[in-house]
Amino acid sequence: MIRAYEKEVSWQAGGLAVAVHLALLGALLISFNWKAAHPAFNVTEVELWDSLPNVQEPTPVPPKPIIEEQAKPAPELKEEPKVEPKPEPTVKEEPKIDIALEKKLKDIAQKKADDRLKKDKALEQKKQVEALQADVRKDETLNNDKLLKESKTKEAIKKMQQEALVDERAAGDQPTLSAGAMANAGVVDEFRNKIQAKIRGNVNKTLCGNANPELKFDIGLLASGELSGAPKLVKSSGSAACDEAVERAIMASQPLPLPSDASLFSQFRNLKLKFRPND
Amino acid sequence: MTVSVANDMSIFSLVAGASLPVQLVLVVLIITSLFSWWYIFIKLATIKRAETNAEDFENAFWTGGDLNKLYEGLTAARRKPQGMASIFEAGFKEYARHKQQSRMEVSDVMEGARRAMRAAYNRELDDLDAHLPFLASVGSVSPYIGLFGTVWGIMNAFRGLSNVAQATLSQVAPGIAEALVATAIGLFAAIPAVIAYNRFASSVDRLSVRYESFMEEFTNILQRKS
Repeated sequence: MIRAYEKEVSWQAGGLAVAVHLALLGALLISFNWKAAHPAFNVTEVELWDSLPNVQEPTPVPPKPIIEEQAKPAPELKEEPKVEPKPEPTVKEEPKIDIALEKKLKDIAQKKADDRLKKDKALEQKKQVEALQADVRKDETLNNDKLLKESKTKEAIKKMQQEALVDERAAGDQPTLSAGAMANAGVVDEFRNKIQAKIRGNVNKTLCGNANPELKFDIGLLASGELSGAPKLVKSSGSAACDEAVERAIMASQPLPLPSDASLFSQFRNLKLKFRPND
Repeated sequence: MTVSVANDMSIFSLVAGASLPVQLVLVVLIITSLFSWWYIFIKLATIKRAETNAEDFENAFWTGGDLNKLYEGLTAARRKPQGMASIFEAGFKEYARHKQQSRMEVSDVMEGARRAMRAAYNRELDDLDAHLPFLASVGSVSPYIGLFGTVWGIMNAFRGLSNVAQATLSQVAPGIAEALVATAIGLFAAIPAVIAYNRFASSVDRLSVRYESFMEEFTNILQRKS
């Protein structure tokens, strides 16, 4: 491996070679920040948000406390809520009359109306609260002009937390209004029908023959309306050609229609679809 | 799940998490790199010593001293003469031997001395050239070995990706990072080897030219003496 005349320098050279490699290793360890920060953590938080409204469904929270709590910092608040309730009773009275006349028929209509009202109300409350917060912030910023930037960032964090709280409560309120879930269910059904209609339009019906077999497919959806994976055949029609025709139709229908309300998407993540191609 | 994988990206965990072929490639490359650096330092020392020896001998030779004395000084030394001194020793020994058998012709004596010097020169050159082919092959091959490891690792990373419906960069990033370590080590072995090879090759060339010109000049001197 080495010549006789090289022996006297071989140990020295070997030590130097090892030293060079240790230096490289040290440079690798020092110069690279191997443990990088990953901002992708936010993604997981968003997924938690999706499940929040469902969890809070059974615990009703009266909408009034929000206004009262938020009203404390500014005196203007007290005026505005007073203005707001005025439309409420007028609308509420109408359904009451209806109920007195024919309870059974108008029950659903009333619930829907209530629903809409309360939704509007919640939205208005939110807007008002935000506007008030903006006012309060303006005042505060005027007063705190001399304060350091740190305090501003703290305020911003607080503000964000407050907003998050308000959002959370508003989100929690909607389902508590008895028919809120029903309205959501209506939207879900509407879009479920839309999805089925779009897929049905793409099915090559001649492949399924004259009989009217039923197929069941499980599909996973992404928020963009695209499929997250291949559709899974749960119940076959009995004819492989027909199954494939429907599967192709599902693939061809991307992107599928989804409601613009992102909070409803959780109901579409895993869809079970039934088909009768010859309907 | 992917977050925890991406979070722990120290170089040790990268290497430990690599697949077996990639780890083999890494081990091979580290060993080659160690050897190539070892030879680089050995050659640095020996070529430098050969240059200073040539310098010293030329000084001693051209100061115009007695050649017999120079020869005796060389043979009396405990160490075997190296480089230019060994060429001189071989040539002068052969010349003196032929000179003692006085019936030989001058051209034959010169021819014999030349042959002896040529043989010593070849031995010296062989010593100078030692390990240079190894450095040359490390310089040309180790990037490919590293590239092989990288390609293998990236293939694995993407094969794992095909099982996932929603592909994200964080799923391939660790695999690609660990694969790229192979290329990095391959380059770390190759670059110094190529630089050292070129430098040593030119040093050996210059030394051999120096030896050859000394041989020619010494032949002339011997011819004048005889």
